[in-house]
Amino acid sequence: MTRLTAPDFPAQAVRDRARRGTACAFPDTGEYGLTVHGQCPGQADDPLDACRLVPPVFMPLRMEKLIDLGREPLYTDVDLRTDIGGFSSALPLSLSAFGSTQVASTDLGLAVAAQAGKLGVPMVIGENVVPVNGYGRQGGAAERCLLGRLHAYADAAPDGLGGVVIQQSTEDADAEVWNLVYSDPSAQAMLDSGRLGFELKAGQGAKPGLGGLTVLSRQAAAQVADQFALDEVFGETAGQVLRIASPGTLTQEILRQQIRLMRNNFPRARVWVKLHPGRDIADAARTAWQAGADAVTVDGAEGGTGWAPAAFLDHVGLPLAECLSRIGAPGGCLLAGGRMWEGARVSKALALGASAAAIGRAALLAADEDPEHGLIRLAECLALELRMMISALGKYAPGDLDAADVWSPDIAARACGDDAFGSETERNEVTA
Amino acid sequence: MTAPTTERDSVLPTPREHLTSEVTRAATRIQNTVLRATRDILRDAGFTEVLAPVIGPVTDPGIRGSKQVDVDFYGNRYRLMTSAILYKQASLLAFDKMFCIASNVRQEPMETASTSRHLAEFHQIDVEIAGASRDEAMGVAESILREAVSRVVSESADDLAALGRDLAAFGWLAEGEFARMTHAEAVRRLHDAGHGQSADAEIDWRGEALISELTGSPFFITDYPKGSRGFYDRESTSTPGVLRNFDLIAAEGFGELASGGEREHDYRAIITRMRETGENPAKYGWYLQLAREGIPASAGFGIGVERLVRFIAGLESAWQASAYPKLPGVVSP
Repeated sequence: MTRLTAPDFPAQAVRDRARRGTACAFPDTGEYGLTVHGQCPGQADDPLDACRLVPPVFMPLRMEKLIDLGREPLYTDVDLRTDIGGFSSALPLSLSAFGSTQVASTDLGLAVAAQAGKLGVPMVIGENVVPVNGYGRQGGAAERCLLGRLHAYADAAPDGLGGVVIQQSTEDADAEVWNLVYSDPSAQAMLDSGRLGFELKAGQGAKPGLGGLTVLSRQAAAQVADQFALDEVFGETAGQVLRIASPGTLTQEILRQQIRLMRNNFPRARVWVKLHPGRDIADAARTAWQAGADAVTVDGAEGGTGWAPAAFLDHVGLPLAECLSRIGAPGGCLLAGGRMWEGARVSKALALGASAAAIGRAALLAADEDPEHGLIRLAECLALELRMMISALGKYAPGDLDAADVWSPDIAARACGDDAFGSETERNEVTA
Repeated sequence: MTAPTTERDSVLPTPREHLTSEVTRAATRIQNTVLRATRDILRDAGFTEVLAPVIGPVTDPGIRGSKQVDVDFYGNRYRLMTSAILYKQASLLAFDKMFCIASNVRQEPMETASTSRHLAEFHQIDVEIAGASRDEAMGVAESILREAVSRVVSESADDLAALGRDLAAFGWLAEGEFARMTHAEAVRRLHDAGHGQSADAEIDWRGEALISELTGSPFFITDYPKGSRGFYDRESTSTPGVLRNFDLIAAEGFGELASGGEREHDYRAIITRMRETGENPAKYGWYLQLAREGIPASAGFGIGVERLVRFIAGLESAWQASAYPKLPGVVSP
């Protein structure tokens, strides 16, 4: 165990869930009858956390479920199975890419892969894993390489559920990661079962507009010096250097054509696109869907990263809630990422248009806490909360949530009509 | 989940069986005639043959889903050629009309092992003409096919007979120019035939065989959509999104024989198209430097030698036209 830290993230709460699972959805039973509980302080800083889920009194969909079941429905009747970007998923969850950063490229990458497979939720394998850690076909460090993660996932996944999505960024194009996987014999089982996808990484939430940044020892840096640019930001006498990459230049036409080329070259794979929280996010997401992307992931500025300049973490990029607001009614499968770890935030993102939530840091922390069961327990607790919240809203499937299920103080502060999450008309479009 | 690479003997004959087979011998002799005819007609038309390199720092990226083979060149990552396209454009600095008979290696997706048309190692008759239009390049491709078939019919009649190839299949030799249809028209015909071909993509393997079965004469498909081909196929200036390119499709279901088109040669256009095809321009340093300094406008094409021989000889599979066949994912000498 690396004892991973995540200072700006509710790491202790995630670790607690990774240890104790669904019990963590409730206050400590030792406090039962002795303590009263309220909203956590500080949540209002985040616009999505500041929203509240607002169950109605009248519940026509609960009535439908009652008729369907012939008895009063319970939260255990919520069916969380979700189609995510062309895959069948057991939960409205997807695992974000961790990339090649040091925290993710140790045993954690494998631990997360095996648990994600067991859960039957899609998993993205990060950019740069091949150029930095190798593919594993001719003796690379198997536990770190792409093939190792792919195998760990596939061996654990239930039939017909989940999928593995391989990311490629501009720099990865040199390593031909997608061509490598698509033509490799050992990836055929996933391809044949329709559970292989490729994700075009256009950016990430923690450092919108910047490419990948990783800190490398001088020795490691020398090995990749012909593939990546290096910057001596720590001083020439320091033992480490910053490896820098370009996010790749995009115009609307470049994004459209790259997606079309992916569909052309890999007709049996799903095509995903990950976007940073840019101010033109709605335009970019629409372009991706229209070009045929099976899923678009928007990573809010709250998204995690292995390394980013502090100024970017604090000052750059749109919050996830604003991204969802700008996108409005999605034109395809939308995944929302950024500080996802428990059911309430996920429910709100689903209500605001997402088909699923992408979790990153929480998965790493959970696997760090318990490499065999941590992520599974975390997901079980999250799933329990989702079932309770969705049923409380009088609904029994994640896809039934809509903007009417969320109240925002922002909305209350404005005059009615053109609120932060769309007008009534738009809300109706979401539900249509 | 590991699916091991298929063993040779489950798909291909042993090297001894293959090399002593009358089919291999006849196919190889027909291949000789085809290459002789090609060299004759091109040299007579003023083309210079250039020996293409086998390795280089970059190669053709525009091959759907197939992986390049990396080579360690004194510590630098080089690639075996997937096609000679970059060198063909460069060679026009020396000669206005050039050709090569080049070896290519592509680690094609496993699914192509069963198309009967794909080899992981194959040869290509590569032609490039400075200042030429697409029509001129198509004319040259058609003349090579006609000359190759005519010469095989007259010089390798015994081999065709031994392979059971009915000469009636070449009735089109006496007819006029090959028919042409646009990609959009091909998509319409495939839809009419009940095949769900994407309008934005390359004609898929099944569609290619289907459309080839619909006709008794070779024909051209033109105007492929951007997003289906590499950065070097020139985009139409009058119809953005459409490429000034073509495929030559054989009759009788034998499928694609050749791909070609007018080339992007303007530096700015090349960089833009590279990004649209997901390429990192940095690795194309030598090529981009040439383009920045100026390379001629051109058009050209590549004809797959084994596919051409398969078509003329009427062979079941392209691998029968190779003495040492490499099928995608199959381990063989």
